Amino acid sequence: MPVKRIKLPVAVLLVVGGLIIVGLSVRIRHVNPAISGDIAAPPKIEAILKRACYDCHSNETHWPWYSYAAPLSWWMERDVELGRQELNFSEWSSYYPATQIRKLQWIDRTLHEENMPPWIYRMLHSQAALNQSDLMLLQQWIESRLAARQSQKGSNATKENSQ
Amino acid sequence: MNHPRILFCLLLLITVALESRTRADDTVVELRFENRRFIPQTITIPANQPFKIRIVNASKEAIEFESFKLNREKVVGPGETVIVLLPALRPGTYDFYDDFHQDVPEGTITAK
Repeated sequence: MPVKRIKLPVAVLLVVGGLIIVGLSVRIRHVNPAISGDIAAPPKIEAILKRACYDCHSNETHWPWYSYAAPLSWWMERDVELGRQELNFSEWSSYYPATQIRKLQWIDRTLHEENMPPWIYRMLHSQAALNQSDLMLLQQWIESRLAARQSQKGSNATKENSQ
Repeated sequence: MNHPRILFCLLLLITVALESRTRADDTVVELRFENRRFIPQTITIPANQPFKIRIVNASKEAIEFESFKLNREKVVGPGETVIVLLPALRPGTYDFYDDFHQDVPEGTITAK
């Protein structure tokens, strides 16, 4: 067998093996902070949110075995950090009312555009995909929350005017 | 040489050049973030013309310039400057805020 043919697979094996060893040795400590105030949602809505959103948008992230091996661990850590920064259902009660309205509006828009969950996440977590029924339930729930907020703002303004 | 290909390439170049020229003419508004607030808090721009916002984050924390009405979200790292492109806006007011810090007062863009 020609020397070149032997060297190439061996070189590939060495590189891959080296990457695995480095990856396993550079461990990331995945943190799930305490839940300070979860969003209060009906059970059906909560179930959908937990299935499709909570891994990146809450403090209840499930970290599978492959999330501990670099470089995948770095990528996943970053995604979860950004996801929590953008929207964190576990800290919902710490959001100001105006912030809660904005977050609901953005969620509604994202659902309409079918941007979430990201396709790469759905590839590894097929149960996270949102079907039409899920989307409809979520959008109806968001609309009702927004309507409730608007009427609350209206009644607060009326109270202030009458005083 | 293939004439349709040459024509297509020329057309593409002209389109890109025109597009660049249009964006170069756009109004640029500077928006600064420091001491936990946007400066200025109110921006007035001509309606029906595209424009750009140059966001300078002069603080030591990352911020996220965000506006639901404008459909824009942009993270700006500490000390960074970014440009956000915006299309022609109809007359009206469009609020913006820092999504990373709820206590930062909202700003408003008025197109008239």
